[in-house]
Amino acid sequence: MSEQNKPAIAVKNVLKTFAGKHEVKALEAVDLTIAPHEFVSILGPSGCGKSTLLRIVAGLTPYEGGEVLVNQKRVAGPSPEIGVVFQSSNMLPWLTVGQNLALGAKLRKIPEDQAAPKIAQLTEMLGLKGFENNHPHQLSGGMRQRAAIGQILALDPQILLMDEPFGALDALTRDKLNVELLRIWQEQRQTVLLVTHSIAEAVFLSDRVLVMSGRPGRVVREVTIDLPRPRMPETIKQDPRYGEYISELSKLMGVY
Amino acid sequence: MAKRWLEAIAFWGLLALLWEFGVGWLGVRRYLLPPFSDVLIAGWNAREPLLSNTWVTTVEVLVGFVAAVVGGVLLGVLIHISAFARRTLYPLITALQSMPKIALAPLMIVWFGYGFASKVAATFLFAFFPIVIATLGGMQNVAINLDEHFRALGASRWDFFWRLQVPAALPAFVDGVKVAMPLAVIGAIVGEFIGAEEGLGHLMTMATANGQTDLMFAAILVITALAVALYAVVERLARAVWWRGISF
Repeated sequence: MSEQNKPAIAVKNVLKTFAGKHEVKALEAVDLTIAPHEFVSILGPSGCGKSTLLRIVAGLTPYEGGEVLVNQKRVAGPSPEIGVVFQSSNMLPWLTVGQNLALGAKLRKIPEDQAAPKIAQLTEMLGLKGFENNHPHQLSGGMRQRAAIGQILALDPQILLMDEPFGALDALTRDKLNVELLRIWQEQRQTVLLVTHSIAEAVFLSDRVLVMSGRPGRVVREVTIDLPRPRMPETIKQDPRYGEYISELSKLMGVY
Repeated sequence: MAKRWLEAIAFWGLLALLWEFGVGWLGVRRYLLPPFSDVLIAGWNAREPLLSNTWVTTVEVLVGFVAAVVGGVLLGVLIHISAFARRTLYPLITALQSMPKIALAPLMIVWFGYGFASKVAATFLFAFFPIVIATLGGMQNVAINLDEHFRALGASRWDFFWRLQVPAALPAFVDGVKVAMPLAVIGAIVGEFIGAEEGLGHLMTMATANGQTDLMFAAILVITALAVALYAVVERLARAVWWRGISF
C-alpha cells in the first residue's frame, strides 16, 4: 500500500486546551493517520475530546501544538475537500427539503448545472423523493438526517467527517442508516472519519477503530476490523469475528 | 368557531351593558362617565369629523411606523455587522431608549411644527427603539450549530447574513414589530395632544375642553379600534414567519 505514504489525514502530536476559569486539557499528543478511501471510526467515552478532534481536522477549531495535515496540506480552516455531517441535521427550517439539499452546493459555489443532477440522484437514493417540497419539520428525525447526509454528499467531498451522525436517532433507524451509508460508501469510497458512541456501528462500518482515553483524550488503542466487504448486516453478524471485535472493544471501553 | 364568536359577543355585550347601567346604579355624573349609549350617539352625530380625523391619524401612524421599521432595521443591522457601531451607536441608542419619549414629544412640535411632520416624528420616536432592539437580538440569536455548519460549508459573509442570520432573526423581529405597532399609535396621539390642528388626539383635547365627555369617549373608542385593527394586520403578516423555535 504505497498510499500509506501519502495519508488523506495525518494528525501529529496535537494538543488542545480550552482556556477559561478552569483550563481544560481536551486533547494530549493525539496521533493518527488515515489512508485515502479508508473508513475509520473513533470510539471514546463522553467528553474525551473526540468531537473536538474531528472539528480540528475539519478546520473549525484551532489547535495549539502539533500538526494536522489533510492531503499533505496543513489545515488552516474549512476546506472544500472535506464534508462534515454533524449530530444535528442542521436543516434550515425555513427552507424546503429540496432547498436544504441544494444549500451546501450553493454555499460552496458549485455551479448549479453540476450540482443539480447529483442532488437529484441523491434524493432518489436516500428515499427523499416526493418530499422535496416539504419542510424539514414535517419529516422524521431519520429522514432529516438522510437529507443532512445528502446535502454533504452533493458536495462530492473526498473526505467525509461525521460527528455522531446517527446519535440522536432510535436504534432501528440507526441500523438502517448504517446500511445505507455503507452502500453509498462502497460505491464512492470517500475517506471517512466517524466519531461514534456505538461499538456495533463502529465495527460494522469501519476498516479500523481507534479507541480514545478519557480526558485529556489520546488514541490509546487501534483495532483493525478484518471483515469482508461488501458488508451486509445479515451476513456480517453471523461472522464469529464480528462478535469478537465487539467484545474486544467493549472491554477496551470498560463496558465489561 | 360559532361558539367562539358567541362567547366574544356575549362578553363584550356584557361589558357594554355593565357600562350602560352601572353608571346609573352607581350615580356617576355624566360629565365624568356618560352611559355607553350616549357615547355611541355622540360618536354617530360626530361621525364626519371622527372619520376625517381617523384618516389623518392613520396616515401619521403608518408613515411614522414604516419609517421606524426601515430605520430600525437598518440601524439594528449596522450595529450587528459593525464592531465600531456596536461600541459607539449601541450605547447611544440604549441611552436614548431610556429617555421618556413623552418628554421629547414637545420638542418634536418645536422642531417640526404643528402639522403632519411632528406627528410622524413622534410616532417614529415611539416605535423605533423596539424595532432596533428586536432586529439586533434576532440577528445575534443564530443557533450555534447552524453557525458552525455554515462555517464548515465555507459560507461567505453575504451568505451568512442573507441565508442564515436574516431568516433566523425574523421571529424576534416580528415580535418587535408587534410591540412597536401600538406604540406608534400612542406616539401619534401624544403628538396630537401637544399641538395639532387635526387628528383624533386633537379631537379628544377639543372635546375635553368643551366638556363633551361623550365625544371624548367616542374618540377613545375609535383610537382603540384603530390600534386593534392595525395590530391585527401586523399579526396577520407576522404569520408568514412560522419557523419560530424550530431547530434540528
